[in-house]
Amino acid sequence: MRFPFRSMFLTSPFEGLQQHAEKVNECAWAFQQAIECYVSKQCQTFEELRQEVIRLEDEADSIKRRIRGHLPIGTLMPVSKFQLFRYLREQDGVLDAVEDTLDWLSYRPEPGIPTALEKDFLLLVDAVMDPIEELTKMVREARIYFKSYSASQRVKVKDIIRLLRQQEHEADKIEHVLKGRLFNMTIDPVSIFHLIRLAEIIGSIADHAENAGDMMRAMLAK
Amino acid sequence: MSAEYIVLIIGYIFGFYMAWNIGANDVANSMASAVGANAITIRQAVFIAAVLNILGAVFIGSHVTNTIRKGIVSTQVLADPHLAMIGALSALLAAALWVSFATWKSLPVSTTHSIVGAMIGFGIMAGGFKVINWGKLGAVILSWIISPIFSLIIAFILFKIIVRFILSREQALTAAVRLSPLFIGSACFVVVLSFLFKTPLGKSLEMDASVSLALALAIAAGLGFLGKSLIHRFLVCRAKATVEEIFRRIQIGTSCYVALAQGANDVANAIGPLALIYFLVKTGNVGSKVPVPIFLLLFGGAGIACGIWMAGSRVMTTMGTKITTLTNTRGFSVDFAAATTVLLASKLGLPVSTTHAAVGGVMGVGIARGIEAVNFRIVLQIMIYWILTVPAAAVTSMLLFLILRLLI
Repeated sequence: MRFPFRSMFLTSPFEGLQQHAEKVNECAWAFQQAIECYVSKQCQTFEELRQEVIRLEDEADSIKRRIRGHLPIGTLMPVSKFQLFRYLREQDGVLDAVEDTLDWLSYRPEPGIPTALEKDFLLLVDAVMDPIEELTKMVREARIYFKSYSASQRVKVKDIIRLLRQQEHEADKIEHVLKGRLFNMTIDPVSIFHLIRLAEIIGSIADHAENAGDMMRAMLAK
Repeated sequence: MSAEYIVLIIGYIFGFYMAWNIGANDVANSMASAVGANAITIRQAVFIAAVLNILGAVFIGSHVTNTIRKGIVSTQVLADPHLAMIGALSALLAAALWVSFATWKSLPVSTTHSIVGAMIGFGIMAGGFKVINWGKLGAVILSWIISPIFSLIIAFILFKIIVRFILSREQALTAAVRLSPLFIGSACFVVVLSFLFKTPLGKSLEMDASVSLALALAIAAGLGFLGKSLIHRFLVCRAKATVEEIFRRIQIGTSCYVALAQGANDVANAIGPLALIYFLVKTGNVGSKVPVPIFLLLFGGAGIACGIWMAGSRVMTTMGTKITTLTNTRGFSVDFAAATTVLLASKLGLPVSTTHAAVGGVMGVGIARGIEAVNFRIVLQIMIYWILTVPAAAVTSMLLFLILRLLI
């Protein structure tokens, strides 16, 4: 058979983007479990959950590599290749930050999080969970938009991006309060360092999600 | 005399084989977008393509045959009927061989280019380099570059119009229904026009150009609004309409349009040399103007239809799984651009490749940001192969000519 017509169609990178976003979403669940486990102080499954996240991160990485490796020069897409790569980097950043958080926790199994701060940390984790979920939704809706170019669909995606921005802002506020309280506690400096850094890494999950949203906004530009 | 009949029989066989090849391989280029976008099933595609290729070949197909045969190679080579017959046969065999080789190796070559190359080879052998009308050849080669670009531009503009005036509107559906007569009508316009200007039947009506234009316009407008009312009746009123759904229906029409254009254009690749052999055998000499008998066009069309029938569904299954990112609006733009390009080119008597017109159409939609990922580099590959095809077919044809001259 000889058809140039067929070899023109490449595997869509959006397919991969969506799979990648779903991996991020899958990770989120294990991440939340792991944190709750860590906070509860009688945790048996933390390491197991961390390994699960590492495994998912690995799978997501190979999806990322596949997307990057299969867009030859001269590929025409609805968005520029580099916008797509920048977006992918931010989406991957979410996952990296999730993994980093668990890694950071694993360095210091004892003494865990002070009881007074448990609530704040869980609040912060909750605050960064929402953006992760929105991310998957955003990719799905954006893909529909690039197919339909419908005005209302575009508004829908832009709404998600706005929501991501607000959620990041919320997470920031929680992080801010948490850090303020941390420095006013009388605990050992090493713990302070560990917890401050922990709050920052968790906070960065929402940052990356927001950045991904901003990149998506750039891709939507007419 | 008997040797000549043997040549004629071999001519029939290889003419049929070429036609079969066009049907088997190239049908995918015309129907794949419709199948990929789920506008029609593979079964329907096979049926539509087979029937309309025959219709296109028989009713719109005669003009191009002349150009391939007489335009590039001067009629001087036809002075010796025996030599001309051998030449036509070797050209046909050479093109068939090259196309088979390309099919075997999956090279994206065009049957049109193969036959043109082979005819050049024959011309050089029969009368030396001076019989080749280089100016005409240049024009033909230029048309190979222009036709995908033309198709690209049409597809680009069409898809941009669809995005701008339909998809991105608040009331996308209403806009789609409102503009549907325009899309249906313009497709009908080109078909009617090429029918009126080119076919023996159309010419026998003996109408002025302006009258023809007016008539085509009227028919197109009529069919356009008929299409709109059908869409309104069957989709909008039953409340299952989406923009893509509307274009799905229109795309059924445009895939017919492509099949028709393909039959009209490509039949010449198979039966051009065959018509020459036929004429030489039947009359013994060639006049300045050689009519192509209708039954030969029918023969070519039937060959294409056979190819579609036997290999079409397999080819289209392969294509259908690959082209899932094409929606109906995109498929419509590609089909429309390709068919319009091919019909206009074949009206001008230029042997262009249907495949390349379709490729140009996909590129146009790709540039208009309509497809998730299209490989633009295929254009380079195609260019390399048409640069290769012409000399390769020409040299093969020359060699065959030498061999056949010794034998017959």
